[in-house]
Amino acid sequence: MNYLNISKVSFKKASLGSILACSLTFALSSSLYAAGHENGYGPFPVTVKGYSGSATNSVSYGGQIARHLLHNNLKKLASGGNPNDPTNAPMKKMIVNFSGKDAGRKILSPTSKDKFPIKQKMVDELSKKKNLSGKTYQGVMPAWPGNMTGVQVLNHMIKKAGKTSGGVDTRNGYNYPQLISKFAMGAVFYNQACDNYLDEKLNADTKPNNKPYKKGAAYTGKEHVWDEAFGYWGAAAHTMSLSAKDSYNVAKGKSLKAADHNKDGMVDLASEMTYAHAYYASSFDKGGKTNYLKTVTGAFIDGRKLITSANGNKLSESQIIQLKSYAGEICDNWEAVIAESVFKYAGSVYGDIEKIEKGMASGSSIDKALSNYIKHWGELKGFAMALQAGKENLGQTATKLNRMMGFGPLMPNLSQVVGVDSSGNFIKDQGSSFGYYKLHMIKIQKIMVEAFGVTARSKDKMSGMAALSKSLSTKTSAEND
Amino acid sequence: MDIILEFINRLYTTFADPQKRVFLGYLIAAICISFFWLMIIKNKNIYESMKIIFDKKVFFSKSSFSDYSMLVINTLLLIFLSPILISQLAIANLIYELLHLQTIINPLRMEINYMWLLPFIFTFCYFVFDDFTKFITHTIMHKIPILWAIHKTHHSARTLTPITVFRTHPLEGIIFILRSAITQGIVIALFYYVYGNNISLVTILGANVFSFWFHLAGSNLRHSHIRISYWPWLEKIIISPAQHQVHHSTKKRHFNKNFGVTFAIWDRIFGSLKVSNQHEEIKFGICEKEEIYENNIIYLYISPFIEIYKIIKNFLQQNILKLR
Repeated sequence: MNYLNISKVSFKKASLGSILACSLTFALSSSLYAAGHENGYGPFPVTVKGYSGSATNSVSYGGQIARHLLHNNLKKLASGGNPNDPTNAPMKKMIVNFSGKDAGRKILSPTSKDKFPIKQKMVDELSKKKNLSGKTYQGVMPAWPGNMTGVQVLNHMIKKAGKTSGGVDTRNGYNYPQLISKFAMGAVFYNQACDNYLDEKLNADTKPNNKPYKKGAAYTGKEHVWDEAFGYWGAAAHTMSLSAKDSYNVAKGKSLKAADHNKDGMVDLASEMTYAHAYYASSFDKGGKTNYLKTVTGAFIDGRKLITSANGNKLSESQIIQLKSYAGEICDNWEAVIAESVFKYAGSVYGDIEKIEKGMASGSSIDKALSNYIKHWGELKGFAMALQAGKENLGQTATKLNRMMGFGPLMPNLSQVVGVDSSGNFIKDQGSSFGYYKLHMIKIQKIMVEAFGVTARSKDKMSGMAALSKSLSTKTSAEND
Repeated sequence: MDIILEFINRLYTTFADPQKRVFLGYLIAAICISFFWLMIIKNKNIYESMKIIFDKKVFFSKSSFSDYSMLVINTLLLIFLSPILISQLAIANLIYELLHLQTIINPLRMEINYMWLLPFIFTFCYFVFDDFTKFITHTIMHKIPILWAIHKTHHSARTLTPITVFRTHPLEGIIFILRSAITQGIVIALFYYVYGNNISLVTILGANVFSFWFHLAGSNLRHSHIRISYWPWLEKIIISPAQHQVHHSTKKRHFNKNFGVTFAIWDRIFGSLKVSNQHEEIKFGICEKEEIYENNIIYLYISPFIEIYKIIKNFLQQNILKLR
């Protein structure tokens, strides 16, 4: 019975129409989806007025990627310290990567693996004559003994690492690969981006957009300033099409599928790799509480689109204001990523001390716990120093942080580094107690929450107590017994 | 608008949350227990039992209406007061931090094979300590004149219903909220410091498992006219409804007796225990003679302030005179 009174012909027509409509909708939504996934950092067209070269893409941040690789090399080499080498070769190798500019520097990390082939083998393939020392924080770093500048601190660490077996000083509690790496990320990448490119270089008359960055360049002053800052952030150009976990796996060399955006079967370190703070952002974001990686990368892309839209003309006042607003968003979130790291490693250090205390109480070996403690403390210290290498003077926050952390970790014999002598040797004294030191770690976590609003809160020492408190609490009422 | 919604939510939670004493489920359980008591122990028929349990003279008395009014007014007041009161988490954080500065109590540094029992140990310890601090607080509410002036509001009830727990002056409400926060803060901090993340609260429907069973076993009958008593030996361990009714008695010999909530052991230790007597008639209130204003809602809120003022004034006058 045909209740709806529809003829067979009409039904066929309607069916055909529905199929066509569905197909069209599907095709349209697929293309829109693909377009959304093309929202990467580049390529962006050349907008320089009067440009006569052959380039079609104005994006350029090879120098920054070269520095990421020099940083990776430095970290790797710091673990090769040898006190018995009379030639001091380990230190010299580090210096080549820190302040040298010579050709022939190999990429030590990441290197090709069967399931994760890397396109480049030499640092110069990304950019020539680059070093880290020329771009390192020049201000005094009060978190390290000796009243040294950022560059001097890294030189001091490199010198010590070269003469320390495996780069780990178990007497004073210094893990140099971690200290050097975490501090360098802040002193070079974060500092250069947020205290230089996204700060004074955003003024309309500095590196203006109506002129090429340098004679013959395919990019304007502002385009390149913005690109350089993005390069230091360390995100792959196609980050917006990846999940936080994908970006994390790219940095770990675990997912060629996620890394190889241009499908050439290998990973291009210039644009397809995740480095430094972008990697840490992904590590926090994959927990689901934060979205640092895409917030920062998205702001970089939006900013670059804004500059490109000026089409090689000088940026207007409103465009500069908008650009600075993107820069503010980038640096606030970047700072939060470093603060999240400080928070996390303060929690790790607390946990390590508990393990050391347990080992000491039971008379079992504390070697592994001590090794982890020194490593995590190095990360904590490095990130805390990085935090102080930004644009803002952290004032009292930095003072508290440095005092609570000390110049060195509190060792099981309760000794602690308190300074350096005129030759750069560490001076030690009796510290407080592990109880006090653990309390300091809790307070450091509190400071990170109060001053920087960290929300991922990995290794939160107080979260268990908060959860317990929540399970006991109910809406208050005035009740009698 | 937000305040109205919060007010409705708070009132709803009072009866819908198993963490709350007058949760509907506990009230139904109390009714069932009352039926059992009256029909099996007291040999009443179902009609008589119903008449006794739902006695109009009790639930529609002036005293009970004051209780209902205070529930509504206090709920509203606490919307504004709660946010400014210190939380148990703030206290727990403070104590937890202080624990790092001493060496007598230490975090557990060895493997133990009763780890699975820790949540039960924590839950029970919290329940016992909470009961103890309730006993202490209740005792001082009776012993210190200024606090008695506040607590009198509760004792002025002439009829007892489960809602009489809300016949509480807001000042006393604040004291009890702080007591609860301090108790929870201490227990949480101590256990967390020693056992870390190995502890949790064992719950049924979100309520502490021991509180749940205590309330399900008829805790609401302590504020009722159903005089359920236990065997004397049990009344020396656990406070029966009849024992708490003795606490509300106007008879002088019952004054300052049975301060406990769950356990009678505190009263035994401090010499304030009184087992119940089914043959003894009890009238509820502060004194035998009923005052005209004792159920006037304004009087209930204002009189403690007036009394406190008088106590302080007397105290100052006496001390100034002494000094002169």
